[in-house]
Amino acid sequence: MTRSSIRALAFARPVIKGLTVLNLVYAAGLAALFVFSFFIEGWPTRPLGDFASTHPQLGNGLRAIVAIGFVAALIVHTILRRLLAMVDTVRDGDPFILENAERLNAIAWSVLALEVLRLGVMTIGSIVWEPGRLGEFSFTPWLAVLLLFVLSGVFTHGARMRADLEGTV
Amino acid sequence: MAIVVRLDELLHARRMTLTELAARVDITLANLSILKTGKAKAIRFSTLEAICTALECQPGDLIARDPTLPAEE
Repeated sequence: MTRSSIRALAFARPVIKGLTVLNLVYAAGLAALFVFSFFIEGWPTRPLGDFASTHPQLGNGLRAIVAIGFVAALIVHTILRRLLAMVDTVRDGDPFILENAERLNAIAWSVLALEVLRLGVMTIGSIVWEPGRLGEFSFTPWLAVLLLFVLSGVFTHGARMRADLEGTV
Repeated sequence: MAIVVRLDELLHARRMTLTELAARVDITLANLSILKTGKAKAIRFSTLEAICTALECQPGDLIARDPTLPAEE
């Protein structure tokens, strides 16, 4: 292992733990926002003014986006938990195991789900406040999903090969 | 597995211990023990050659197939 990768691994654990806490705070904030939106008088007209009065579906659109954001935060939580478990296996000196391949596969599906949710948010935005205008589409996250699936396949194959090698004398 | 390793019989015939063989073939005692107890999944040609040279035998003397044993799943 190179010195930079050892250093990255040492940083990874506290960074992932920090991100997990931030993500939970974010999810709690979104949940609170969603609930309070039903009890705040004149929401969203009062905080947003004229913009809200010219877009009649704005309230429902914002609530839908907040709900999607909450679901996305839960998905991000599962990604961070799995990532932490993977980092721990590297620290324990045995990362090439089938469990990590399964974790990578689950992370790939999670990132795919996040991207689908992002498309959902873009669609809501285009319907509610900018009719006919869809946000910019980016290929990078989809490429990341593809990369994760490939990596998971490589990990599965590598773990099986290593299991075979373990019994070789 | 229907493949059996006859290392125990060969060592007995040559009055050699597993520790002595390990020292001669430069293979760890743990690995030779795995081979002897039939727990090995595969054997390298280099290991086979080293053991056959040390025990002055043929690979067929060391490894055999026992049809009465069940084949590996």
